[in-house]
Amino acid sequence: MKKPLAPRVTRAILLTLFSALFVLYVAGPVAWLVSSSLQSEAEITRVPPNWLPQNPSIANFEAIFSAADRVVTYENRRQGEALTSSFLPSGAANLLPAMRNSLVIGLWVAALNLLLSVTAAYAIAVIDFRGRRATLYTVLATRVVPDIALVVPLFLVIRNLGLINSLGALVVTYLAITVPFTIFILISYFEGIPRDLYRAARIDGCGHGRALWHVYLPLSLPALVASLTFAFLTSWNEFVFALVLTQNVAAQTLPIIISGFIMDFTTSFSFVNAAGVIAIIPPVLMAVVFQRYIVSGLTAGAVKG
Amino acid sequence: MTRFGYDERSAALLVFPVLAVLLVVAAFPIIYSFWVSLHDIVLTRPLRRPFVGFDNYLRIFDDARFWTAVARTTVYTLVCVAVTTFLAVLVALLLNEVFPGQRLLSALLLVPWATPSVVNGLMWKWIYDPTYGLLNGLLVQVGLLERYRVWLGDPDITLLLIANAAIWKQMPLAALLMIVTMKAIPEDLYRAARVDGANIWQRFVHVTLPALRPGLMLVLVYETMISIRHFDLFLIMTQGGPGDASFTLSWLIYVETFRSLRFGTGAAMSYVLAITTFALSWAVIRFLGKRI
Amino acid sequence: MARITCAALTKSYGAVLAVDALELSIGHGEFMVLLGPSGCGKTTTLNMIAGLEEISAGRLLFDETEVTWTPPHKREVAMVFQSYALYPNKTVRENIAFPLRLRGQSASEIERAVGAAAEQLEITHLLGRRPNELSGGQRQRVALGRAIVRKPSVFLMDEPLSNLDATLRLSMRGLIKRLHQELKATFVYVTHDQAEAMTLADRIAVMKGGLIQQLDTPEGIYERPANIFVAGFLGSPPINLVEGVIAGGAFTRGDFRLALTNPPQEGRAVVLGLRPEDVSAGGDVTARVELVSPLGSETHLDVLAEGGVALTLRVPKEWRAAPGDRLSFGIDPARLHIFDKASETRL
Ligand SMILES: Nc1ncnc2c1ncn2[C@@H]1O[C@H](COP(=O)(O)OP(=O)(O)OP(=O)(O)O)[C@@H](O)[C@H]1O
Ligand SMILES: [Mg+2]
Repeated sequence: MKKPLAPRVTRAILLTLFSALFVLYVAGPVAWLVSSSLQSEAEITRVPPNWLPQNPSIANFEAIFSAADRVVTYENRRQGEALTSSFLPSGAANLLPAMRNSLVIGLWVAALNLLLSVTAAYAIAVIDFRGRRATLYTVLATRVVPDIALVVPLFLVIRNLGLINSLGALVVTYLAITVPFTIFILISYFEGIPRDLYRAARIDGCGHGRALWHVYLPLSLPALVASLTFAFLTSWNEFVFALVLTQNVAAQTLPIIISGFIMDFTTSFSFVNAAGVIAIIPPVLMAVVFQRYIVSGLTAGAVKG
Repeated sequence: MTRFGYDERSAALLVFPVLAVLLVVAAFPIIYSFWVSLHDIVLTRPLRRPFVGFDNYLRIFDDARFWTAVARTTVYTLVCVAVTTFLAVLVALLLNEVFPGQRLLSALLLVPWATPSVVNGLMWKWIYDPTYGLLNGLLVQVGLLERYRVWLGDPDITLLLIANAAIWKQMPLAALLMIVTMKAIPEDLYRAARVDGANIWQRFVHVTLPALRPGLMLVLVYETMISIRHFDLFLIMTQGGPGDASFTLSWLIYVETFRSLRFGTGAAMSYVLAITTFALSWAVIRFLGKRI
Repeated sequence: MARITCAALTKSYGAVLAVDALELSIGHGEFMVLLGPSGCGKTTTLNMIAGLEEISAGRLLFDETEVTWTPPHKREVAMVFQSYALYPNKTVRENIAFPLRLRGQSASEIERAVGAAAEQLEITHLLGRRPNELSGGQRQRVALGRAIVRKPSVFLMDEPLSNLDATLRLSMRGLIKRLHQELKATFVYVTHDQAEAMTLADRIAVMKGGLIQQLDTPEGIYERPANIFVAGFLGSPPINLVEGVIAGGAFTRGDFRLALTNPPQEGRAVVLGLRPEDVSAGGDVTARVELVSPLGSETHLDVLAEGGVALTLRVPKEWRAAPGDRLSFGIDPARLHIFDKASETRL
């Protein structure tokens, strides 16, 4: 039996309408950012604005990837590039190294985070040991303190250790801010694995290490991917700690360099936008590719409340 | 009988690395920060750092900037939490339907979530740009606005414009949480409601809404905790201005610590913010937990 | 390693005492069944033997070796679970091979052992499948395969058949019995199904509230229940229990009198237990038939005797009776069970 026509049409219209609004709201701003990054300086400063680039050019991106080869002098900075007619900021050459820093830090954090949170989450979710609750609460409690509050003492600690500007200090810091959440994700996931599987594994001859390796890990792929992605994204995107804990450009990460461009009024709009697009591509790609895993991983704990 | 058996030994080994990291990078700084907050530490005067007890805390409450910041933070947080939650429910209702393109939209939802906050700030600042921005261009072209406006220069709406950027980024996670909550509602409930003759709206009010309660709680608490500490956008977009229009608590802590280099009061403010956040989440859980 | 000794074995969860100072000795090659209602501590006991639950107090010995604190993977016991607990990401072959792989056996040894176990359980054709492609009965066979492939001397089974349908349960019961005879290993088997317990067990431990109520052979438990609980727990339809007193060497309740061969002391308040099948045709007890439930092979009669004594009788199908009929039948005094009313124990 088919439903009557009228409600189906209403539903289709409503769905289309809300889908359009949704796409406009979610993708519109990013589309505008991308569109701006493909415009030349002359085009981007037109009033009213061009929704789409008239002469799409990847000059900004070329500039970013070749900035290191270019000598920035007072003249070509003031006059702008003949080709793009844009102002290449003096810091443009720092973008690629910053991107490398962000990538290196992100990968280290993702890997170490997985190692640390998988073991801890297994212990907390599976092993019935004295101090289990206390451990869990300690881990979660460290996230109650706002980052901005943590930044001050952490700055003092790291400075006293002489580790300002070291990538290692950022890696450890990002571990501390990502681990509580990934542990939470993994605990929720591990607790969803039938207890009898754990029992069977122990009876079959697994110690805790082998039970984790042979039984829990193969069954937790979504949570593992979600944790990896979350850790990488968080450190790729992080701003406050990087701002305070790094002070020379060699150690700075992408968000810091980009925020420098934003503050610098002489920088071309289209160039900043291009830098923004570059910073957005890896995390968005990662999020979309691993979408299924991320959604089930991030929300694993939510259903139980 | 207490005994340190195989389980305890394994667990100790497995949780030790995490606890070590958290001890060094979180617990120790938190405690150290308390020590700092009890001293008059100014970085430009490194040798004299007298113990002042709770003076730093008392001084905060005499500081007019603090009360401004409390007011700004309150407005900002309320707007962020309310709008994010509302949008999240709407988006969840949409994406919980099955229709062609639904999977594509779900993938799109992750884009704001994955966007770095710095780029988010850059993007919206550019949209709000007084001369070349999208917002002015759009509103003037469709005739809703006569003359270009300096959006972020208007103290009455700055906070809302920043909140808008924040909401754009944090709505997706909230929506995801709402979607899984909705998916957990047994289909039978809807069938039963249908059999009882409930229309769409009645089904939403009597079936969906009550079942969303745990998800809503989670979103409300989480969004409150997140919004109250927002900082990145303020640094990128307005630096507390114009005037003190976007002068929030996080911004105050930043200015006090890294511009005035008064670490003692900065740490004390951090403690006040941390305790407030904690108390607020607690309050949300306690009061709304019973209401919704 | 095949004799299991539980000495004052105790498990408490906070204030809940799940197993209370359990004393149990299971001999080599014995088939021991733990039987009892839900929540009586059967699983907890089994898990303590397996090492899956920490022992709160008391000692556990395998032969002469104390294993109270030995973690499960060092105990060398095999176990089968009600939920099958097959590794969903592994094939049947990998599932069965897993315990051997963990013990570092060579590929050819494993291949041979898995093949033999699969043959014994008639699941050779399933070896390439994954657990979610199997029926419940097949899954439980695989779980058995994973247990027997190690040739352990102790098998622990926690309600392995309760997720199966009635016919399958019957054939699996036979399979387990056969395995026990072939493997000559010690079995500890948890169930709340009395038919399973009666058919499989060498000895049954009937449990309630974390305590063993009676430990005996199936016949012993059925014929000489130690207390009212055990008497009521076994038998279907359940035993008839009638409260009364001893007067003149007979059990009395109002006008209802039954002479006893070996009466307890005069005037004592007792509970009389009568198995529904322990009646014979023609006798001096008369009652009115209330309800007739023919089952085909036999008939159950609900009757009301003098003194308001309601009884259920299990009689051959040849006994024709209709509601309202008066029925005379005999009761053999030697087959009666008399319990003390206060202590509920057998007299
Ligand atoms: N983890 C636990 N925490 C607290 N109490 C528990 C726990 N596990 C079991 N119990 C309690 O211990 C008692 C015995 O439980 P157990 O699982 O051994 O019962 P069982 O005889 O196996 O029952 P069933 O036939 O239902 O499986 C029960 O009262 C139960 O509520
Ligand atoms: Mg049980």
